[in-house]
Amino acid sequence: MSRTTALRGPVTVWTVLKWTLAIAIAIVAVFPIWWMFNVVFSQPGEPVSLNPRLWPTSLSAGIDKIRMIFTETGYLGAYFISITYALLTIVGVLLIASLAAFEFSLFKFPGRRIMFGIVMLALMVPTAVTIIPTYLLTSRLGWLNTMQGLVVPGLASAFGLFMLVQFMRAVPKEMIEAARLDGAGHFQIYWHVALPLCSNAMITLAILTFIQTWGNYMWPLIIGTRTEMYTVGQVVGMFNSPLSHHTVDTVMTANLLAAIPPLLFFLIFQRKIVEGIAMSGTKG
Amino acid sequence: MSFRRYLPHYLMIAPFMILFAAFFLYPILSGLFYSFHDWNGVKAPEFVGLGNYDRILVSREFLRAMGNLFFYIAITVPLGIFVALGLALLVDSFTGRWANFFRNAFFMPVVLPAFLAATIWRWIYAPNFGLLNMILGWFGVPSVNFLNDTGSMIYALVAVDIWVSAGFNMVIILAGLKNIPTELYEAARLDGASKMQQITHITIPMLGPVLFFVFTYGLISAMQVFDKPWLLTGSSFTSYGGRRNALLFPVMDMMGRAFGGVKFGEAAAYGFLLTVAIVFVTALMFALRAWSERK
Repeated sequence: MSRTTALRGPVTVWTVLKWTLAIAIAIVAVFPIWWMFNVVFSQPGEPVSLNPRLWPTSLSAGIDKIRMIFTETGYLGAYFISITYALLTIVGVLLIASLAAFEFSLFKFPGRRIMFGIVMLALMVPTAVTIIPTYLLTSRLGWLNTMQGLVVPGLASAFGLFMLVQFMRAVPKEMIEAARLDGAGHFQIYWHVALPLCSNAMITLAILTFIQTWGNYMWPLIIGTRTEMYTVGQVVGMFNSPLSHHTVDTVMTANLLAAIPPLLFFLIFQRKIVEGIAMSGTKG
Repeated sequence: MSFRRYLPHYLMIAPFMILFAAFFLYPILSGLFYSFHDWNGVKAPEFVGLGNYDRILVSREFLRAMGNLFFYIAITVPLGIFVALGLALLVDSFTGRWANFFRNAFFMPVVLPAFLAATIWRWIYAPNFGLLNMILGWFGVPSVNFLNDTGSMIYALVAVDIWVSAGFNMVIILAGLKNIPTELYEAARLDGASKMQQITHITIPMLGPVLFFVFTYGLISAMQVFDKPWLLTGSSFTSYGGRRNALLFPVMDMMGRAFGGVKFGEAAAYGFLLTVAIVFVTALMFALRAWSERK
């Protein structure tokens, strides 16, 4: 932090300018989210143009709108689908990637380098080339409109493997040897030695996977074509479509409910999220 | 004998490698096969050689999508880096709690799903009663239909794009800033360098590798833009791209051919064309970097 002295000094024009600028940008960044919140928590029917909605005016009206959207539309079902999709993906990605990362980072066996190399190449392959054939495969398996169709094709996460390998490399070889001398089996070493040592990386990966899965729009759009398999993203898209009959209030409630889980995650885990992204960028 | 010795290792990587082969390697190969076939998903695939590629390359939508993409990338990637660098320097000029506060505020849009950013901004852009038109109204500017006026649509997309991605790039640049040794700034200050000179002569050159990553990554993801233009234009598989296809992009065109036109062979071929373009651009970036480092 001391390098900031380069830009620090007594109260000058620069200080005033930089505070003004920082506050103005913070408003631009946060205001659309704040505005959405205010539209929900205000009396329904007020034309938006007459009320810029700078602050919330009615808590009960907001709660009514949320209750209405949960009971009268398919939103609750979509919430359930999205949460299940995210949780299953997190558990699967963490388990499968950490098992593989354990081997790739700490042991030598024939084929290790080439297999790891191929997986790392996958990081560079754009989704555009795999999405259509993966859809066709999923459809041939009869997995359209199923939870396994949403989850399973995304489980072998090359990014997750890459990230965990970076961390597992730091596990001291002596600890593994010591555990082996104590009679621990291969899987036990993974479970009792390696995993606890990289719990930080696992948590970061879980959070990033949650944000990514919750925000995934393209894959659920083509896999879940029936309303009962719609994710929050699709429902929000429907509410906002030009053919939707909903009022601004209802649409904003739908939007707000989709924003709450990732925003909550962010408020709780902000440091882990920011560090995770910084790490994936600078080591990548 | 040796296989038995290594068996535990193979068992542990098996779940990952099997899923990887099934849902990554196999789809790529089968996509290559489909790209040479005419297929609607029901009847038997019919071999058409390079016919799909031919048809895409001369189609009006492809040219339009590519034209839009070039224009969009030319604005959004450089502007995005410029904004992110500015935000990072700004946050870095604060200390302690305020640095954290501004970093988190600038970062907040990143955690929102891209689909949500697009839908919120549709309301901000709405004609007459939208927030942006309301503010412009205070200054006497007549209402603009940002998402239906072919002149403004791409800029409207760029604004959403930067709103979403600036915080992401900022965090990566901030991590890079932390790695610049303080002594460099002290030496420069003793030599009488101004703040601006310190930024252009120390900060930016020292950030070289980080900026390269941000630029290349931004380029690759911009080439695959989908959710934001799709939702900003209120697209569906029967109608997408917005007015006069002003917000039609390659991945949208590809998805439309697959799920609107039910031409899976053509869509697979489209995916390969796009991949070739992305690999080419990435290779070009790395070649440029190697060349500039040699100089």
